[in-house]
Amino acid sequence: MATLPTPASAGVDLPPDLQNELRTFDAAGRDVSLYDLLGIAPDADGATVRRAYLDRSRRYHPDAWFRKNVGEFGPLLSRVFQKLAAAYQILSDEDARAAYDRTLSKRVSQRDREALERRALGREEQERRQREGRERLLRTKGFARIGAARRLYEEALELAEGGERAQAIAGLKAARELDPRRAEIAQKLAEVEQEAARSRSLLAFKGAREQEEKGDFAAALKIYRQSLEMDPTNAGAAAAAARCATMLGDTQQASLLAARAVELAPDDVETRFLLANAFVTLGLKVKARAELKRVLDAKSDHKEARALLKRV
Amino acid sequence: MAEPVIGIDLGTTNSVVATVQSGTPVVIPNRSGYRLTPSVIAVAKNGKRLVGALARRQAVTNAERTVVSVKRLMGRKWSSRSTQDALARLPYTVVPHDKERDDLLIQLGESTYSPPEISAMVLAELRLDAEAFLGQKVTKAVVTVPAYFNDSQRNATKDAGRIAGLDVIRIINEPTSASLAYGFGKQIGEKQICVFDLGGGTFDFTVLHMYKGVFEVQATGGDSLLGGDDFDNRVVDWLAQPFLEKHGLDLRKDKMSLQRLRDAAEKAKCELSSTQQVEINLPFIASKQPAGPLHLQGSLTRPQLEVLTRDLVDRCLSVCERVMAEAKVKPTQLGDVLLVGGQTRMPLIQARVRQMFGREPSKSVNPDEAVALGAAIQGAMLLHPQQEMLLLDVTPHSLGIAIAGGFFQSILPKNTTVPTSAHHVFTTVKDDQTSAKITVLQGESEIATQNELLGEFMLTGLRKAKRGEVDIDVIFDISADGIVSVSALDVKTGLRQSITVTASSGLTEEEIKTAAKANEEWMLGQKEHPEFQKHKARAEEIFKQFDELWPRLQQTAANGLGKEPMQRAEAALSLARLQVQQKESAGLLASLERLELMLGALRGAVERGLVAPRGDRS
Repeated sequence: MATLPTPASAGVDLPPDLQNELRTFDAAGRDVSLYDLLGIAPDADGATVRRAYLDRSRRYHPDAWFRKNVGEFGPLLSRVFQKLAAAYQILSDEDARAAYDRTLSKRVSQRDREALERRALGREEQERRQREGRERLLRTKGFARIGAARRLYEEALELAEGGERAQAIAGLKAARELDPRRAEIAQKLAEVEQEAARSRSLLAFKGAREQEEKGDFAAALKIYRQSLEMDPTNAGAAAAAARCATMLGDTQQASLLAARAVELAPDDVETRFLLANAFVTLGLKVKARAELKRVLDAKSDHKEARALLKRV
Repeated sequence: MAEPVIGIDLGTTNSVVATVQSGTPVVIPNRSGYRLTPSVIAVAKNGKRLVGALARRQAVTNAERTVVSVKRLMGRKWSSRSTQDALARLPYTVVPHDKERDDLLIQLGESTYSPPEISAMVLAELRLDAEAFLGQKVTKAVVTVPAYFNDSQRNATKDAGRIAGLDVIRIINEPTSASLAYGFGKQIGEKQICVFDLGGGTFDFTVLHMYKGVFEVQATGGDSLLGGDDFDNRVVDWLAQPFLEKHGLDLRKDKMSLQRLRDAAEKAKCELSSTQQVEINLPFIASKQPAGPLHLQGSLTRPQLEVLTRDLVDRCLSVCERVMAEAKVKPTQLGDVLLVGGQTRMPLIQARVRQMFGREPSKSVNPDEAVALGAAIQGAMLLHPQQEMLLLDVTPHSLGIAIAGGFFQSILPKNTTVPTSAHHVFTTVKDDQTSAKITVLQGESEIATQNELLGEFMLTGLRKAKRGEVDIDVIFDISADGIVSVSALDVKTGLRQSITVTASSGLTEEEIKTAAKANEEWMLGQKEHPEFQKHKARAEEIFKQFDELWPRLQQTAANGLGKEPMQRAEAALSLARLQVQQKESAGLLASLERLELMLGALRGAVERGLVAPRGDRS
């Protein structure tokens, strides 16, 4: 970066070198890479990126010069800090960083290009090694493969036990590839996948519940539906989604969701009543009557159901 | 000595004030000697304003003229659901105020006050405590708020500070503040921690990264309507419901019995943190019954309390899961878990936290005091930056605008490090359009009306042109306090556009000034103790005697008494002079007693002949 030959401002509490740095950083356009902003090499790892950002913040954050006479540099400090924060945001997210690296590699110096390539290679290399290792095992015959599958399977059991489901699933998939005939591997895989789906579904369900309690039915409906997608056997999510759709006046959707809920949990009288209600609104009297009768079969003292049945 | 700065944890139930003294953060005890000051304001039957423990003690007999938990109303709109929910539980009267602003006022005695004015009364009391402790005027403060507070709640807190005559140099988030107290003076290379902050009225969860004195908040989240009060309410309901069924009388409808129920519930809850069972005894809880007075008796066990409140704890933990997902961190990866807020003393909460994070929560900070200490540290960091510490906090809510169709468009996502800014270009939609309205909102919902309205801004005096030809760049800034400001520029001409705020619940400049003046007068009145003039006369007499003794004393000193007693006397004298100036009646009295003792001892020394032989004694 070229330093602009501007004289230091007198009567300002900032050291002259900082004044120069601020002017330089502030004037830095797109030709200055995010790596240069943070003063790191393009193949720096995540921890180095963070440390560089925090070290620079200490110098450029406006709070470091709180209530000092910063004169014209006030807005500069704020802008420079925001630039650093934005750079950190991108470089600390692996996907965003990879995308940025691709745009960058076209216009950087030889040295930086090499570093970028090293990192890109590193990413590919890691994937390739894993793939090769598996392929090598696949080529070997008999006991080595089965032994490797067994080791992976046992590791996965431990991981699943410790709640590391994502890793357990990856391990089980690799084990299945190595030893497709072992039924217990496939079985365990299905089991863990279902558990993972259920736990994701439950988490989503809780989030949706919160939105519903806040009265945000649109958001709740969306998340309940996601919860149902993750675990199609989650009757609670279906029922709750139906409830939200009803609140939003989307009867068509409510009826579909309630039908699903009732199918999953036939004993849920309230949801069945909701379904009947939706049918009434949609003008499907025969269907409504059938559902209302079933409600009354299960709970003969359901007053609202009785009243509604009389009406249709 | 550098100008003092205090840190204030302005809590829902209790407040704490702290400062950094010769490099060490300390809690300032109030003038009654306690470290916690209840955030309670009352007007006694004789019209006198009571603050803190005094106000709290008389709350049962004077429920309607006592204001508690005002934090729950700070920056809230009258018509909002959260306000209406809070009102159902509050024993005092709250009335709607300005229709346009949709704000509210609290009835206290014969007058009504805005929530910031009530909070200012607590702040003013804490300021007096700090001035008595430090022996000098205090005007600078850092005040904490729950991380989940939105812009209007933060502004209301800042207004409260100004009314109390404080220059609030920074508003900081409570969990972040606690982490400063945790990290202060420790040699921590690099560490990732989280703070679980369950106070009287709010819950916050924050994940932070610490590196060589820089505290970087990675994600924060919470629930501004979930706190220890809700735990109390569960116990209140548990007590009141059977009573209602048995006697057909709802104790929660009567303000005095509600206050007694609340006190009993809170006490029972706290005791169950250390014992397994408590007896609750409320004789004459309903005394005006035709069939004679009724009493309430019962016993509550710890497992029962846990069943009553289990879902509240679940709500906290689901917030934790969400925030950790946002910070992309697993519970077992965190290097420490800090528990902050009195409610975290509950064994169930500690057990569930232990279970979730797979580790023992840190015991290195005091859950009641850490927030205030951290605020004091932040104040010192900003004004006296010998401390190599820096705080990088984030905005807890997404900021955006309402767009066509009633949807919300996010402009600044939540968990963005502050200070930050973003801009959005608006285009005119009609020919010769001269004004445009921008609705600024904070929240996470896609539906505009479900987010918090920060304000409506009118862009006026737009240049006349065909539609779509005028581009206005609207800039949103969030300061390090988390407070939002908006400005606008015409893209083509580069001219600044004028913006007027048309909807905001905040107080006007005029209202703040009037309230600040009233507070100033009250504070002066507080300081002028009835005995003060008497003490002042006595002080002047003592000063005179010291002046007379001084020359002889100097000789005595040269003759073997040494300089130390004189230096001590000088220090005590200057303190007393300051106390006279500041009208510190109680402090002055103590100083005078000390000075009289010193005077006696020094006179004795002079008389005993510790005097120079070549002196001019006759």
